[in-house]
Amino acid sequence: MKTFIKVIEIWIPDKERTQLEFGSGLYGGLTEFKHASEKQHFAYDEGLPGKAWAARHPIVLSRFEQSYFKRTSAAQKAGLTCGIAIPIFSGDFLLAVVVFLCGDDQEQAGAIEVWNNEGATDHALHVLDGYYGSLTQFETQSRQIGLPKGQGIPGRSWETAMPVLVEDIGKATEYVRSGDALKAGISTVLGIPFVNGDERAYVITFLSAKSTPIAKRIQIWMPDAEGRQLVCRQSHSKNSNNLAEIFETLTVNKGDGALGRVWLTGMPLITGNQDESYNEELDDLSRMLAIPVIEQGRLKAIVTFLF
Amino acid sequence: MLNLLIVESGIDNTALENALADDNVETVKVQYAPSFIAQVKDMRPDAIIFNLETPSDELLADLFMLNRQCPLPVIMFATDGSSATIHKAMQAEVSAFEVNGLDADRLHGIIHVALARFKHQQVLKNALQEARTQLEDRKQIDRAKAILINTQNFTENEAYHTLRKLAMDRNITLGQMARNVIAMAELLK
Repeated sequence: MKTFIKVIEIWIPDKERTQLEFGSGLYGGLTEFKHASEKQHFAYDEGLPGKAWAARHPIVLSRFEQSYFKRTSAAQKAGLTCGIAIPIFSGDFLLAVVVFLCGDDQEQAGAIEVWNNEGATDHALHVLDGYYGSLTQFETQSRQIGLPKGQGIPGRSWETAMPVLVEDIGKATEYVRSGDALKAGISTVLGIPFVNGDERAYVITFLSAKSTPIAKRIQIWMPDAEGRQLVCRQSHSKNSNNLAEIFETLTVNKGDGALGRVWLTGMPLITGNQDESYNEELDDLSRMLAIPVIEQGRLKAIVTFLF
Repeated sequence: MLNLLIVESGIDNTALENALADDNVETVKVQYAPSFIAQVKDMRPDAIIFNLETPSDELLADLFMLNRQCPLPVIMFATDGSSATIHKAMQAEVSAFEVNGLDADRLHGIIHVALARFKHQQVLKNALQEARTQLEDRKQIDRAKAILINTQNFTENEAYHTLRKLAMDRNITLGQMARNVIAMAELLK
């Protein structure tokens, strides 16, 4: 199963908290790119992770050539063409930056967007930036629309401050762009809100086709009503996975295991064997990225990407 | 007809080649070179024959590697009969090591005993590997069952049947499925 996302990295502040250093990463078989990345450091406003730190919101870099991206030559060799960086803050202070890097082969249909509003007086989200690959018509349509709270996946994610996962967008006619998405071959959409307490809202959307899903499996975990345990509220993969379903019946206490640690610390986390390259054709799940969705210092949800 | 690869290393092999021709054996000659393993894999002879003074460490390392990647009977005629050389040759899993023993009359017997010994060793090695895999699988299955018992409150029987169903659904062995369960549990650890 080839996935839309090829590389995931977590960059964390160094001891002095003035630069970002490599925390962990999933590179599949892209070992050369991995080696080129592990040695990197990014100052504030430098490179993709540093820019996201300075911008204080997710950013999409749709092409690396002649940009601020620092690893263009290694990325080109690895077939990576675009990236998205998501800064995770606790108040004014950065906890980590999660970077997704994607390939640009002709077989895949997918897009990544960052939506935002212009402040408290702007009641609609618009595309701030996006990567659409070959989906030029879908891009044109998306850039022209505004989505108020509750409308479309970005609007719903904004309204609820929760991640939203829709598996068969073409059939979900309540979404504004479902028809356009269907025409573009998009089947699954994941929206993740990022609100840092100011008046601006940001929502990232990952849109992918059946042939190249976002990840092998996506899960949304949330604290239960009492806020005592995490429970898996939603999950999705291209093929059904009864092994993953067994583990999704678990409840997780704060501090217990990988998800419990994300809840405890607010830090994104990568688990699984990061050194071995994995077989992207197999359905087994052996690596995981968990991203916290935080609103006003409280964990709202954890989104996991499994590979 | 047997197809043998003679690896030359500066010694006159005319007697060896004549004896093999008389025995109706087809031979190919190559010089020992760094590309030795690739050449052997490409040619896939029935056995490899060396006639040399003493095997170099590089050659023995290559034979050791070849044995891991593409095991073949190896017959070595050498003049160096020191116990250190014999020990190294055995570690490289040479099937027959003859010290000053290149005798045309005995060649047929030496080759066929080496082929039979190699075949027997392969059977034993495969059986050992299978036993190791089964033992390792059993350990992994027990570990996966323990995970299912602890996380799902299953009985041992329920854990086993769940594991078996998961494996059947995927058309993989119980051992492979156990590894998947362990990997999944590791993610949440």
